[in-house]
Amino acid sequence: MTESTPSEGDPAEGPEDATTANGPATRPSDLATPADGASTEAPSARRPAGRRGRVSSGFGRYVAKHVGGAAVSLLLVLFSSFFIFRLIAGDPIDQLTRERPVSPEERAAMRAELGLDEPMWRQFWDYITGTLTMDLGDSFQYRRPIFDLIVERLPATLLLSGTGMVLAVLLGFWIGARTGWRQGSRFDRGHVATGLVLYSAPTFWLGMIVILVFARYLGLFPVNGMRSPSTPPDFWSQAVDIGHHLVLPVLTYTAVVYAGYLMIMRSSILDELGGDYLTTARAKGLRDDEVRRRHAVPNALLPTVTLVFLALGSVVNGSIITETVFSWPGLGRLFVQSIFYPDRPVLQALFVLFSSSTILAVLCAEILYWFIDPRMRRSG
Amino acid sequence: MNPHSLTRRLLCAAASLTLSAGALAVAAPGAAAQDSEVDTLLVATDQEVDTFNPFKRRFIITYNTSIMTYETLVRMGADDYEPVPGLATEWSESEDGLTWTFAIREGVEWSDGEALTAHDVAYTYGLLIENQAIHDWNIDFAGNLVSAEATDDATFVLTLAEPAPAEVLSREVFIVPEHVWSTYEDPSADDANELPLVGSGPFQVTEYQAGEYLRLEANESYWDGAPGFDEIVYDYYAETDAAVAALEAGEVDIVNGLNPAQIGALESQDHVTVNNAQGRRYVSLTLNHGAVTQDGTEFGDGHPALQDPVVRNAMHAAIDKQALVDTVLDGNGDPATSLIPKIFGQWHWDGGGDLVEFDLEAANAMLDDAGYERGDDGVRTMPGGGERLSFRFFHHADNTDYATIVDFLVEWWAELGLEIEAEPIEQATLNDLAYLGEFDIAFSGWGVGPNPTEQLGMHTCAVLPTLTDGSERSSENSYCNPDFDALHEQQKVESDPDARAELVKEQQRLLYTDAPVIWLYYQNVLEAYNHDKVTGLRTQPADGGMITGQQGFAWAYLEARPVDSDDAGGTSVWVWVAVAGAIVVVAAAGLAFTLRRRKTADERE
Repeated sequence: MTESTPSEGDPAEGPEDATTANGPATRPSDLATPADGASTEAPSARRPAGRRGRVSSGFGRYVAKHVGGAAVSLLLVLFSSFFIFRLIAGDPIDQLTRERPVSPEERAAMRAELGLDEPMWRQFWDYITGTLTMDLGDSFQYRRPIFDLIVERLPATLLLSGTGMVLAVLLGFWIGARTGWRQGSRFDRGHVATGLVLYSAPTFWLGMIVILVFARYLGLFPVNGMRSPSTPPDFWSQAVDIGHHLVLPVLTYTAVVYAGYLMIMRSSILDELGGDYLTTARAKGLRDDEVRRRHAVPNALLPTVTLVFLALGSVVNGSIITETVFSWPGLGRLFVQSIFYPDRPVLQALFVLFSSSTILAVLCAEILYWFIDPRMRRSG
Repeated sequence: MNPHSLTRRLLCAAASLTLSAGALAVAAPGAAAQDSEVDTLLVATDQEVDTFNPFKRRFIITYNTSIMTYETLVRMGADDYEPVPGLATEWSESEDGLTWTFAIREGVEWSDGEALTAHDVAYTYGLLIENQAIHDWNIDFAGNLVSAEATDDATFVLTLAEPAPAEVLSREVFIVPEHVWSTYEDPSADDANELPLVGSGPFQVTEYQAGEYLRLEANESYWDGAPGFDEIVYDYYAETDAAVAALEAGEVDIVNGLNPAQIGALESQDHVTVNNAQGRRYVSLTLNHGAVTQDGTEFGDGHPALQDPVVRNAMHAAIDKQALVDTVLDGNGDPATSLIPKIFGQWHWDGGGDLVEFDLEAANAMLDDAGYERGDDGVRTMPGGGERLSFRFFHHADNTDYATIVDFLVEWWAELGLEIEAEPIEQATLNDLAYLGEFDIAFSGWGVGPNPTEQLGMHTCAVLPTLTDGSERSSENSYCNPDFDALHEQQKVESDPDARAELVKEQQRLLYTDAPVIWLYYQNVLEAYNHDKVTGLRTQPADGGMITGQQGFAWAYLEARPVDSDDAGGTSVWVWVAVAGAIVVVAAAGLAFTLRRRKTADERE
C-alpha cells in the first residue's frame, strides 16, 4: 500500500481544472489490484492541442483496442482452464468410490458415465464447444448440469458479496476521505489502525470470533446458514429470516475488506491536499468540510473507479472463506467443495466464470475512463 | 445545501443499518418460532446430495436418506448387526443355496397410501437384473442374480447363479414402489430424485435446498408405529466448529465427526450428551511386498527387504499401537489387529495367541537372526551386505494425525536399524503411486461394512490387476495367497454364522501373520446431542454403538422422542438486553461524533 505525501500531487494543475480531472495519471491497467491502485506516476506530458480534433475516431480505436485485449484474455482463460485443472493428480473415480471397494466393471461404468473414456482431444473439443454454448457439462460430485448448480447458488453469493461490497466501498471511501483530509490526527491514526488490523485478520478466525460472540454467547443471530428450515414459506417471513442470517457474514466480510478502500481513498485524498485549487476554494470562503466534499473528493474519486469496477467483478467470485465459515450456500462454497473433491468440470466452469467477470468489469472501467478522464481522449 | 448533510445522511444510514440488524435479531426468532408445534430433529451435516436414487448412491448422505425413506427385506439388527426381519417376516434358503423364498409383511403401505406387495419387491430386484445402468453400478451383487419373481402378493422368490447367503441377507436392496418407478422413463437417472420421495420407511425426503437443509417428514402410518419426531432436518454446516457452536446455542440437535478438543468443550455443557462410540474405520500401513499382476508380472519399485515376512513382522513388533491411540486419538480408539474393526464383534479377530506385542529387542533379534546386519552407520543391509534398508514412507499431506504417527514410527524403526524417509504427499498422488507399486510404506484406511466379504475380497488373487499401469484399483496391496482364497470362497457360501465366523477369523489370522498390511488402530466416532431436546436415541450396536453412522436401518431416528420443554423463549430476554445495549452504544457514539464534528467545523469556519 503506497502512501503519498501531499507534495507528490501535481502542482501544475490549476484551479480551473478542478471540475474536470487532475488526479494522478494512473492508467486503468495499472489498477489491476487494490494494492497498487494508489501508486502515483508522473503525469504524462500533455499532448499537442492539434490532436483534439480526432476524438471521435479515437474512441472507436480505443474501444476496439480494449475489447480486443479482453477477448484475448478470455480466450487464454478458456484454454488454460482446461489444462490447469488436469494437473491435479489422481483418478476422479477414486474420489467417487472413496471408502467402498469397487469391481473393475463398476469402475468402467463410472468412467463411461463421466466421459472419461473419451480421448483427450475429444474432451477438449467438448469442453470448448460446450462452454461457448453455455452447456457446461455435468459435475463429477453431484452428477448434475453445472449450469444448474451455478444458477442455484449465484443469488446467495450476489446477496452476501454484493451487500458486503457496497458497504465496504461506502464505508471505506467515507472514512478514507476523512482520514486523508486530517492526516496525522487521532481520528486518522485510529481509523487506519483499526482498518488495517481487521484487514490483516484472517477471515476464518474473525468469522469464528463473530459467531462465538454474536451467535453463541449473545444469541442475537443464527450461527450458520442462509435460512432456517422452520421458517414459513411466505415472502416476508423468508425475507426477515434471510436478513437475520445475513448480518454476521456481511459484518465479517465488510470488516475484512473495507480497509483496502479506506487506504486507497486516503492516499488519493492526500494527493489532492496540496492542490492550489483547494487553496482557491478556501479563499472563496468555503468551509473546510465543503472544500473537501465539493472539490477534493470528486477529484480523488477518479483513481478509485477501476477499484469499484474490480469490486463489482469480484462480487461474482463471492467470498470463499466467509461463505465457508458461515455455511452460506453460494458459489464460493461450491468452489471449495470442488477443490477438495476435486470436481474438475465445476472448477473449470467456475474459473472461467470468475475470470471473465473480472475481465469484463475491468473492460467497463477502461471504457468509462474515456468519458471521465479527458487525458484518455487527448492521448487517443 | 447543508454542509453536514452528507455526514448526516451517512450517519443515518449507519444507524438505520444497525437498528434494522437489531430488529432482525429480535423479529426473526419470533417469526421462526411460529410453528414450533412441529417437532423437528435437527442433524448437522456437511455433505450435499448428488442423488436420492438408492441404486446409485455413493455418498453417506444418500445412504442415510435411503435407510429412512425405503426399507430392505432383511435389516441389520440394532444390537449386533445380525439379520432381523424388515419387510420380510421370514425367509428360507433352498438346499443348494440358489433359491431364496421371502414372506413379505402384509398390511404395509407406501407413504402415498398404496399397498406394498411382493410385486414391488420383484420389480426392485428386477431393476438390478434388467436395467443395464443399475446392473453395472451394483455388478458385484447383481451379477449373481438370475431371476426375481412374486409368486403371490406375499411371497417373493429370488434365484441366484451361485450360493451367496451372506450377500443376500446383508446386501441393502432398498425396495422401491413399482407404481411410481414404472412411470419413470429411466429409473437409473434423475427421475428418481423427484420429491417428495415415495417410500415405506419411517421418514421420507420431502424437501431439499442445496447447501441449506434437507427435510424428511415422518410417515405417520408407518407399520412399526409412527416415529416420535414429525420431521428430521439435515442442516448444513460447512465447518464442524460452527456446528459445535450451533449445538451449544441450541440451534442444532445432533453433531457428529467431532475431534477430541471439541468433545472436551462440549462435555462441559449442561444440555449436551457426548457419545464416544466405537468406529467402523481402521487406519493401516501398506507395505510394498512386491506388486504383481494376475499373470505374475512384477511391477513397481518396492524395496526387496519388504518381500521378507521377517522384516515386515519385525516392523510390526516395533509399533506400540496403544501409545499411538493414546497420543494421536487422545485415547478415543482401540489398537487394531485386523481389517474387521472391534465393533463387529462376531467377525472381529483379536489376535489370539498370535498377538504381536511391542518389543524392540525381540524385533531386533528377528532381524539379526535373518542375517540383516548393521552397517557402520547403524542401518541394516540386505543379507550378504547388499542394499541398505532404507524405506520411503508416504503419508497424506493433509492429515496431521498421520504426521504424528510418522514421527513415532520413524523413531521406533530407527532403533531396528531401519532408515525411513518420510514424505508428505497429496492424497491423489499418493493413491497413484500406491497402485503403481512405487512406494515402500504408505498409509491406508477404510470404513468397514457389516459384511466382511468386501474387505477380505480386496486381498484375494482374483482382484490382482491385469495391467501394470495402476489403473485397476481393486486389490488393496497385491496380496495373493491360495489358502486365503480357499477360505474366502468357503465363507462366502457358509450359511451358519458361527462356522462362517471361524473361517473369517482364520482369514484375518493369515493376513495378520503374513503382514502385507499392518493395522494400527480403530478410530472412535465422536458425536454429541442435545438431551434437552431429544431422548431415546438407540445406538447400534447396543454396546458402545453409534447414533449417526447406523447401518441398514435408522434405529436411532425411529425411536427418538422429543423432550417436553417448557422454558421456551429463554433467550429472548438476553436478546432484548443485547439489542438495547447495542442501540445505546450506537446512539452515544453518534452523539459524541456529531458534537465533535460540530465543534471542529465551527473552529475551522
